[in-house]
Amino acid sequence: MASVVLSEAEKLYIVHGVQEDLRVDGRGCEDYRCAEVETDVVSNTSGSARVKLGETDILVGIKAEMGTPKLEKPDEGYLEFFVDCSSNSPELEGRGGEELGTDIANTLYRVFSCENTVDLKSLCINPKEHCWVLYVDVLLLECGGNIFDAISIAVKAALFNTRIPKVRVLEDEEGTKEIELSDDPYDCIRLNVDEVPCIVTLSKIGYRHVVDATLQEEACSLASLLISVTSKGAITSLKKVGKGSLDPESIFEMMETGQRVGKSLHTALQKILDEEESLGTSRPKVGFLG
Amino acid sequence: MPLDHRRLRGPEESQPPALWAGTAAEDEEDEEGAGAVPRDPCALRPLFARAGLLSQAQGSAYVELGSGTKVLCAAWGPREAAEPGPGRLLCEFRRAPFAGRGARGRPGAAAEREAEREAAAALREALEPAVRLGRYPRARLAVSALLLQDGGSALAAAVSAAALALADAGVEMYDLAVGCALCRPPAPAASWMLQPAEPEERRAAARLTLALLPALNQVSAVLGGGRGGPPEDWAQALRLGLDGCHRQYPVLRQSLLRAAQRRDAAAAAGAAAAAATSA
Repeated sequence: MASVVLSEAEKLYIVHGVQEDLRVDGRGCEDYRCAEVETDVVSNTSGSARVKLGETDILVGIKAEMGTPKLEKPDEGYLEFFVDCSSNSPELEGRGGEELGTDIANTLYRVFSCENTVDLKSLCINPKEHCWVLYVDVLLLECGGNIFDAISIAVKAALFNTRIPKVRVLEDEEGTKEIELSDDPYDCIRLNVDEVPCIVTLSKIGYRHVVDATLQEEACSLASLLISVTSKGAITSLKKVGKGSLDPESIFEMMETGQRVGKSLHTALQKILDEEESLGTSRPKVGFLG
Repeated sequence: MPLDHRRLRGPEESQPPALWAGTAAEDEEDEEGAGAVPRDPCALRPLFARAGLLSQAQGSAYVELGSGTKVLCAAWGPREAAEPGPGRLLCEFRRAPFAGRGARGRPGAAAEREAEREAAAALREALEPAVRLGRYPRARLAVSALLLQDGGSALAAAVSAAALALADAGVEMYDLAVGCALCRPPAPAASWMLQPAEPEERRAAARLTLALLPALNQVSAVLGGGRGGPPEDWAQALRLGLDGCHRQYPVLRQSLLRAAQRRDAAAAAGAAAAAATSA
């Protein structure tokens, strides 16, 4: 992770403030920073989204391509994640960025490994032969702390925005396969993202835990817990990161907070996505210069 | 490794015949599973741990679980590192090619290496809080775990073995890290089970591995995923896992004590023999 150099006095200031439920930028311990979500920013993809959470900037592009289903699950499609962090800072170029990228990709695989997160059966075209593979590419444009949360929000928004064309594969008498695309460009499959979880990172600072830590707060925290929560409040994955250890009681408290915060995050995100969707073609595109 | 041209190698990609066997094999397995006595979810499998068995490494440990998981771990004490700063712990996790129950994966395959790297990162997460890295500035501590047979709960066994190996190597630690795995079967109201065997783990709807420092009661690693449900269920699973870790702790301590006694006895015998030959 991009690191920031803090003096001991600054660390003490942050830690003492958090004990009183006052963070440096005035938020409470369970408040997120102001987030901007915009979908359909890249036109060459099947779905895309950009999320700006404070200083953190994430761009996700999803491309749907036809492939062969996996052997163990012949009637389902699948998702492939790839995370690129190299544009971030000098220390993340090369090996460092690759490690962080694989770490984030593995976390995303684990979060989405639960069976009913995305309806994979709807991605199947012909069992055992053809299916849709969704290649989810995440670009970390700027790291301002709390990248896991931002990435999961961006992935959910991009999946909501994904439009997969309806395809039929017909087989002739000789055995040659023909792909038939429907004529209407707006006739496509949309994914149901109700069960897609969002990751909530809770960082332990002193005796309390904070949601959505900035880079400075992450430098003061020794251990964090990554929880992925669905919109109904079910937890689908847990991971502890950091050099320190956690008390079992803090883990229980963090899970409760994570569930609460995750549910409100989902309602807010869904509201924004539905609003954006309802504006249709008339919505003003902000893009990268806004 | 150089290519062996005399041996007939199979096709590049091979698939296990069990995949194509159809439903007959699955029915058999289900019958077996249903017919077997449902095991007590809180029962811990027998654990065998022995430290100090490799002569070439500074510290080593072998842990075997009742379900068949065998992990061999070696640790090397502080070696000078070029980069300044506090000490670093480098972990490596390798699976033997014959470790898994299914088809033999090619040892250099990318998917294998990815899984190994992930497990190594998880191992490092679990061990870092236990080791006093501040006492070894500018040094590198290396731990290498080799999974000989995967019978379920492999990562948990590797964490215990690695902590034992580090302690055996004489590295200063706050406490031993004890690992424990749980899983929850796909049935709707099923309860969490401690230390699943490999078939149970494969069929599980949710899995959880945790590492605990028992004397300090601090959790050093939590890694879980799947359809677990509300936080209360995960909290219950955590409590069960922590209890399991506490129960395994005395066995690991005993193995360390025995290894130290064996080393003392060997040193005393060696000194006596040297004194006898010189006299």
